[in-house]
Amino acid sequence: MTIAQPAEAATEVPFTKIAEAMAQRVCQDSAASPMRALVATVVAVGPPERLVDAASALQTLGDAGTVRGILISEGTNQAPPPRVAGNTVALHGLKPEYIDNAVGALRLSSLPTVVWWRGGQPDTLDGLARLAERVILDADDPQRTWERASRLFEDSAFSDMRWARLTQWRALMAHFFDMPEVQAACTSFTRLEIHAQDRWSAALFGAWMTTAIRFGKGFSVRVTDGADDVAIEGIELGNDEHQLRLQLNERRSSIETSVSVPGHRGATRLVPLTDQALSHTLTEELRIRARDAAFERGLRAVLAERSRALR
Amino acid sequence: MSGNPLHDGLRLEPTPGPTTLVIFGASGDLTKRKLLPALYHLAHRGRLPAQFAVIGIARTPMDDEGFRTQFHDAINEFASKAPWDEIAQSLASRMYYLAGEFDDAGFYERLSARLKEIDGAEGVLFYLAIPPSVYGTVIEHLGSSGLAAAPDKGWRRIIVEKPFGIDLASARELNQLAHKHFSEEQVYRIDHYLGKETVQNLLVFRFGNGMFEPVWNRRYIDHVQITAAETVGVEHRASYYEGSGALRDMVQNHLMQLLALVAMEPPIAFTAESVRDRKMDALLAVQPLVSTDGDGWARRDIVRAQYGSGWVSGSEVPGYLSEPNVNPASTTETFVAARVYLDNWRWAGVPFYLRTGKRLPKRTTEIAIQFRRPPLEIFRRASQTPVSPDLLIINVQPDEGISLRFEAKLPGTRMQIAPVMMNFRYGTTFGGEVPEAYETLLLDAMLGDTTLFARHDFVEASWALITPVLESWHTRTGPIPTYEAGEWGPEAANELITQDRRRWRTL
Repeated sequence: MTIAQPAEAATEVPFTKIAEAMAQRVCQDSAASPMRALVATVVAVGPPERLVDAASALQTLGDAGTVRGILISEGTNQAPPPRVAGNTVALHGLKPEYIDNAVGALRLSSLPTVVWWRGGQPDTLDGLARLAERVILDADDPQRTWERASRLFEDSAFSDMRWARLTQWRALMAHFFDMPEVQAACTSFTRLEIHAQDRWSAALFGAWMTTAIRFGKGFSVRVTDGADDVAIEGIELGNDEHQLRLQLNERRSSIETSVSVPGHRGATRLVPLTDQALSHTLTEELRIRARDAAFERGLRAVLAERSRALR
Repeated sequence: MSGNPLHDGLRLEPTPGPTTLVIFGASGDLTKRKLLPALYHLAHRGRLPAQFAVIGIARTPMDDEGFRTQFHDAINEFASKAPWDEIAQSLASRMYYLAGEFDDAGFYERLSARLKEIDGAEGVLFYLAIPPSVYGTVIEHLGSSGLAAAPDKGWRRIIVEKPFGIDLASARELNQLAHKHFSEEQVYRIDHYLGKETVQNLLVFRFGNGMFEPVWNRRYIDHVQITAAETVGVEHRASYYEGSGALRDMVQNHLMQLLALVAMEPPIAFTAESVRDRKMDALLAVQPLVSTDGDGWARRDIVRAQYGSGWVSGSEVPGYLSEPNVNPASTTETFVAARVYLDNWRWAGVPFYLRTGKRLPKRTTEIAIQFRRPPLEIFRRASQTPVSPDLLIINVQPDEGISLRFEAKLPGTRMQIAPVMMNFRYGTTFGGEVPEAYETLLLDAMLGDTTLFARHDFVEASWALITPVLESWHTRTGPIPTYEAGEWGPEAANELITQDRRRWRTL
C-alpha cells in the first residue's frame, strides 16, 4: 500500500488526529510485529510524481516500525486533508510556506528529523534545513539544490542520494589505496575515467578523488557515456601502463575490481553490488548522523568547476 | 602519502589488508556450519580484502576441488544468503586444501611453501577448528617451522576455539605453549558469544548511556539471572561432550564472559586492553563456588544434573544415557545452575544466578537484571495484584534485543497495576542485516582487534573458579541427579534460588 497518490488506500484524518490514527494502526499491526523502536522522522518533500516511490520506501521502513514518515508535496492548499497509512502521513499540495510548520507539528520528539529532499522551492529547503538534523538531497536536476545546500552546510548535515550510491564505488577505490604499491604509484597516474550515465554522480566522484589525492600535473578527469540502466558503469584510474579498475558486470549484480601497479602481483575480486532499492539506500543513510566533510568538499569542488566552465 | 586520505568521511567499515586464512580442521563440522558460511557472508558484504585466500587443512584426503565442493555444499546448507552465485564462485577460486598429519614436520614445510605461492600471505590467520587435544601439537609445529613469526611487512595470528584447556593446569600449559611461539597480541581465543550484537551492545547500553550506570549496583539491583538454554540434546557431539559437560562447555567460557560484561566497572576507554582489564577485575571478584575449608559443600552454590527422557519441541526424546556414543554409566552433567557472589563494592551481597542446560523447554540465552522493589509499596492496599519488580532483559539469542518490564496503571477508575514490557529488537530497528557472531569475530581477527576475544588471564581465572568444582564432583560416587527432558532442570536448581526467596524467571 502506498499513500502517495490520493486514489490509493489510506485513511483520511483531521490534522489533529494524526498521531492518534498512527497509534491505532500500530496497535492493529502489533499482533504481527510487536517489537518496535522508532529511530527517526523522515520527511520526504517533492513533486507528487516523485513521492510515489518515496512513499513505498518509507512504507517499507514504517512497516518495520522504525521511522515515522511524512510525505509532503507542494501546492496551494492551506489545509490539505492528511492521509495516514501505518506510520506514514501524507499531505498533498500544501502551501510551501507552511511545510516547516507541518513538519514541526508532526515530527517525533527527541528523535532526529531527516529531510529527504526530492525537489521543490529552494526557500522551503532553507526552512526545513533549520528543523532537520540531516538533509538528504535527491533532486532530479541537482544544480540549484546543490548551490543552495552548499550555503547551509553549517546549519545541518547534508548528503545526497547520488553520493550515497557512490559509497560502494568510493570504498572499493579507497581499498586500492590501502595497498602501499598503489600509494607509491599514484603520482604517476595521469587520468581518471568514469563511464557514467549520470554525469552528476560522475562529477561528484571525480571531485572526491581530486580533492583527496594530489595527482601530478596534467592529471585529467574524463567522463564518458555509460549504459543507461545504471548511474555508474565503470571507473578506471591510472596511466597507459598501470590501472586500477572498477567495472560493473553484465548482470549488474557485482563489481569486478582489478589492480595492476608496479611491485604488485595484481589481484581481481568480485564484490556484490549493494542493494540499489530506494528503501535500502535510505536505510543506509539513516545510519549516518554526522556531517560528511568529504561530501561537502566534493560538492563545493563540483560547483566551483561548473562555475569556472560557465565563465 | 601517510595513511589513506580516501578513507576520510567514508562510511564503510575498514576492510582488512591482504590475508590468508589457514583453517586447521577444514573438513570438520565447525568449518562447514560456521566458518565457510561466515566467509561467504563477509564476501557478500564486500568485507574481504582483494588479496584473500583460504587454505583448508585436515587429515581427510581431499584436493582443492574437493574443498571447493565442500564450500559449495556448506553454503547451500548453512548460509543465510542466496545460494551458490558469482561471489561464492569467486571466493571458491581462492580456496585451497592441504591434507596431512598435524604431527608431521614435513607437512608444515609444505604449508609454508604453499603460503609463499599464494597472493595475500602477508597476513596469515591460523584457525584451530580442531579437537583441543591437538592444539599443542599444531602450535608447537607452527612455532618450530617458523610459521608463527611474521615477516617484515605482515602479521601472523592464531584463533583458538574453545575449550581452551580442560582445567586450570591444562589452560596454563596451553597458554605457556602459545606464548612460547606467539605473543599474547597474536592469540585470539574465540568465544562466539562475544561476537553477538547484543553482547557488544551491553557495553554501549551500560557505558554509552548516562541513565543506567547509576542504578547498576547493589543499591538498586536485587539479583541477576543469566540463562543459556538449549532444546537440543548432545546430538553428534557425544565424544566431545562426554569429556566436557555443561560446566566446561558453557559456564567456564560463555556464562563467565556474560557475567563479566554485566559486572565489570567502566573501562577508561573503548580499547581492547582497557575493556579486558575491567572484565578481568570482575572475574577476580567472584567468590569460590566451592568452599575450600570443608568437604566441598559448605555452601550449596552449584547444582548439576543430566537429562532423562522426555518431550521437547513436540517430540519424545531419549535420555542422555541412551544417546549414541554416550557411556551408559556416564555422570557427565548436561545442566548446571549456580549462585555466584562478587566481592566488590558494586556487587557485594547481590547474587548472580547462572543456569545452562540441554533439552530444556526453550532455546534462549538472556541476562535478566531484576531491580529491587520500591522501598515503600504504597499501592499494596489500593491494588489487589502484587507489584512486580522492574526487570531489564538483555536477549542474547535467538531474538537479539533489550526489554524493560515495569509497572503501569491499568486504565480505569480503580487503581490497578500491571506489568508492561517495552521491547527493542536488533533485527528490525535499524534495518539491514545483523551479522553472525563468527563474521564479526573473523573480521576482527583479520583487522587485529582483540577486544572481543578472551585474554589468557581471563581464561585462567575462569578455570580457577571452575576447577575446584570439577574436582569436587570427581570425588563423588553414585549416579548423577537427573531431570526430565523438556523441564527447566532438576528440583535442586529451584531450591538453589527459592532458598533465597527468589525464583527463576519464567521463560
